[in-house]
Amino acid sequence: MTDVGTPRNETLIVQTFDGKASNPDAQNPLNQYAIWRGFRELGWSFLWEMDTATGESYPELAAGPVEVLNDEHTQFRIKIRPGVYWSDGVEFTVDDLIYTLDTSFKYKDKLTFVARTVNYIKEGSWKKVDDYTLDIETQSPAYDFQTVMGVYTWGSLFVPVPKHVFEPLGDDVVTFKNAPAVTLGPYKIKEFDPNGFWQLWELREDWERSGWGNSGEPKAKYVLYKDFGAEETRALAFVQNQYDVDTFMSPDSIAAAKSRNPAIETFSPTLPYHDMNDACSYGIYFNQLKAPYDEAAVRWALALSIDMQTVGISAVSGQFKASALPMADTPITSPVFYEPLDDFLNNLTLEDGYKPFNPNFGAELIEKLQAQGTPESEIPTGDAVKQSFGAGWWKYDPVEAESLLASVGITKGSDGFYTKPDGSPWMLDFVIPGDWNKVMQRTGFSIADSWRKAGFNVNARQVDNGEFATVQNTNARLDLMVNWSSSCTYNSNWFNSWASFSDAEAYNQPADSNTAIQGNYIRVTDPEIFKIVADSKTMEIGSEPFVENGREIAMKLTEGMQLINLMNIPTTIPTNNTYWTNFPKQSNFYAAPYTWWSSFKKTLLNIEPTGKE
Amino acid sequence: MIGVLQYVAKRVGLYLVVLFIGLTITFFLPRLMPTNPIDGYIGQIQARASGALTAEAIASLRENLEVLYGLKGDLFTQYVSYLERVVLRFDFGPSFSFYPQPVSQIIFGAVPYTLGLLLCSTTIAWILGNLVGLVAGYFHTKRAASVLEIVGILLYPIPYYILAVTVILMLSYVIPIFPLSPSFPVGEMTPQKFGMIIYNSLLPAITLILAGFGWNILSMKALAVSTTEEPYVTYARLKGTSNGTRMLRYVFRNAMLPQVTALALSLGTIFNGALLTEMLFSYPGVGLIMRTAASSGDYNVLYGAITISIIAVATAGLIIDLIYPLIDPRIRHK
Repeated sequence: MTDVGTPRNETLIVQTFDGKASNPDAQNPLNQYAIWRGFRELGWSFLWEMDTATGESYPELAAGPVEVLNDEHTQFRIKIRPGVYWSDGVEFTVDDLIYTLDTSFKYKDKLTFVARTVNYIKEGSWKKVDDYTLDIETQSPAYDFQTVMGVYTWGSLFVPVPKHVFEPLGDDVVTFKNAPAVTLGPYKIKEFDPNGFWQLWELREDWERSGWGNSGEPKAKYVLYKDFGAEETRALAFVQNQYDVDTFMSPDSIAAAKSRNPAIETFSPTLPYHDMNDACSYGIYFNQLKAPYDEAAVRWALALSIDMQTVGISAVSGQFKASALPMADTPITSPVFYEPLDDFLNNLTLEDGYKPFNPNFGAELIEKLQAQGTPESEIPTGDAVKQSFGAGWWKYDPVEAESLLASVGITKGSDGFYTKPDGSPWMLDFVIPGDWNKVMQRTGFSIADSWRKAGFNVNARQVDNGEFATVQNTNARLDLMVNWSSSCTYNSNWFNSWASFSDAEAYNQPADSNTAIQGNYIRVTDPEIFKIVADSKTMEIGSEPFVENGREIAMKLTEGMQLINLMNIPTTIPTNNTYWTNFPKQSNFYAAPYTWWSSFKKTLLNIEPTGKE
Repeated sequence: MIGVLQYVAKRVGLYLVVLFIGLTITFFLPRLMPTNPIDGYIGQIQARASGALTAEAIASLRENLEVLYGLKGDLFTQYVSYLERVVLRFDFGPSFSFYPQPVSQIIFGAVPYTLGLLLCSTTIAWILGNLVGLVAGYFHTKRAASVLEIVGILLYPIPYYILAVTVILMLSYVIPIFPLSPSFPVGEMTPQKFGMIIYNSLLPAITLILAGFGWNILSMKALAVSTTEEPYVTYARLKGTSNGTRMLRYVFRNAMLPQVTALALSLGTIFNGALLTEMLFSYPGVGLIMRTAASSGDYNVLYGAITISIIAVATAGLIIDLIYPLIDPRIRHK
């Protein structure tokens, strides 16, 4: 039995993504809700879901793809599946969608989770055709309707609420907790810890008529999301088979746990062991508005001064996939961006004739790992080298970096550190996360070390996640930082990351401004990129001209080294096969293996009990 | 009588001044942090939307949040409103990170856990440590007493984190008597559920007792040794009093005065002293809440937790000031 009283062999137990929830009884999706407790994955249901193995959107509550009603792409028809019921037995109809929209607009100044909807949909434009059909308009041409009103990667900002539960509350919907929530998914909340450490979901008896009951029968009768605490205690609990799937455990802890329990597995048996298919990638962002980071030569010099193989080995034990373009290199983005731009990377030449790309990055990394004693059986070979460690990265060449810096008047002083063109000391303020993101923290420190060795006087400053966002958003506070927010290109839709590359005031403030910008966190200033983005707004998402424009932007960002993209985000999600098997793995990639993406549904449909009592 | 009233009035006046200064610092300090809670919130929403929020959506959200969070207006207006809400209604507003959850609800849900765990463990560590320290100090010339002192010397320097992880490893993994990560029961309190809470609290309590125990042994031992050598103890011995009488009535009564002060101050700081314990043991107390609030710039939760802490420390100080004359006759005679 589990410690919440359910049979262990019927309970899938998952470590929560961000630990304890401070608001476990906040279950109203119109407001910020206890988001990591299974709502997105098990409770809510969306009009369209995303197949994270292919990057394709598919209907969930909807009966099919959205129908476009006009050439301007502003009028749409949504048909929903009949026969879907809320967990309290009431049928889900278009009236629920209408109530959700009405309420979102009526209380848009008081509700905190409706901003995307009310700024995307044209107010009052929705019309009920019948119980299962809704016509609706967007404020401007929208080619991404399915992924905005549905799911792009890990959930949706439009969550239908049950009209029959919410409407009688009147104005109180604004503060309504909605606990335990009436939901559309095949699971309903059975119990939750008021202290926020766990939440237990139970499969509905009528799961077949739930929001995604048509996909098949989920295999676990119960799903327990629980925070097992600090990594030390988590690792021990994992060894003791107390739970089945972890999130972001450090490579060291995984290795220790694996050595004590053979049922614990990583995503892949060979390096880099972990899933590298997150939508975002880590990179170094410059404040391109500030000298000397406004010079491409300086940005290139910093890129060529990073000994990325050493950084990857010291920060993440070599368990990483390098990505040179400004996005993650995944099985979905590779055919769209990386493969078509392979020649571009290999032939890229700086103004002085230097070719910075190193296509042998993976092979060289393997040599270093072999020298350190990594077993041959765990090292990829052949094509798998590229798939594992990426298509290549930039050369480590401090001599070329010195030459580039000299071209803009930056030279080394008597203390061995670079000085500004006026001879004053150049101190790099490099912001990295504190221990709330250990992989980025360790990567940041290793990069700072690499730079320091190359002659840059770096102050690596750890910040909490609150300050991190403020640095990201505030020109006056940013010089250099490790970040991921402008690299989340998951499929051919690059708009999700790059739509904010524009000269609009919201994205542009003076270099010393303390006013927060609302996007464009890599501070792109290139008017050609702005034009490509603006032109693309009237193109079909995923169409060849749209994708071609995305590649064009990727090339421009790379040529100017407008951000130093580092690596795919390594999502270290070990699983424990003691009670459940058939989790998504590299050799069995039926879904992204994240328990905090709504695609976790696919995992629940595919796992198998081992039968162990 | 007038003297007593003057003494009490002076202490109470001082108490109110400390509270006022504390509340003021509590208001301004988080605002000096390089964190904007609204940026943090928008950052979270953006991340969840994979960057899909438009500039208009963010601008509109930012404006709404400023109003909802009470961050509209200049600093002075916010300060006056804050004092009025806190002093008159003990209202810290909504949590920024978990709007519209009231701060008071978040904090008061956690206070019983923190209080229960830390009050008990601090008091037990104090009593045990002082008793052992008293014996070790009074009989400091005897070899057996040195053994007691060694317990303190061994325990005191161990960093709390190491001690806690060692205890977890020993009692939850090697010999799994206690759970690695507790699951506190939900629903109405029953004797069985209360028992579960006690059981789940034992492991953190043991580490806190072990951690506090050593310091109490060493400090009481030092005080007892010096007190044992005071002339009035020698005089009592010459009068023919027993060892037990001298140890408890002459040495302990005098040596415990600074220890009582230390106890009062430790009890006053338990609200924020629980941070590491609560993180390591997944214990649902105020410390964890403060950690989350500090990292996300949740001013209101920080105000609430720190204010309660300030009130607790100041009140503990006031109580000590008021009862000290009852414990120490020298103060009564001044």
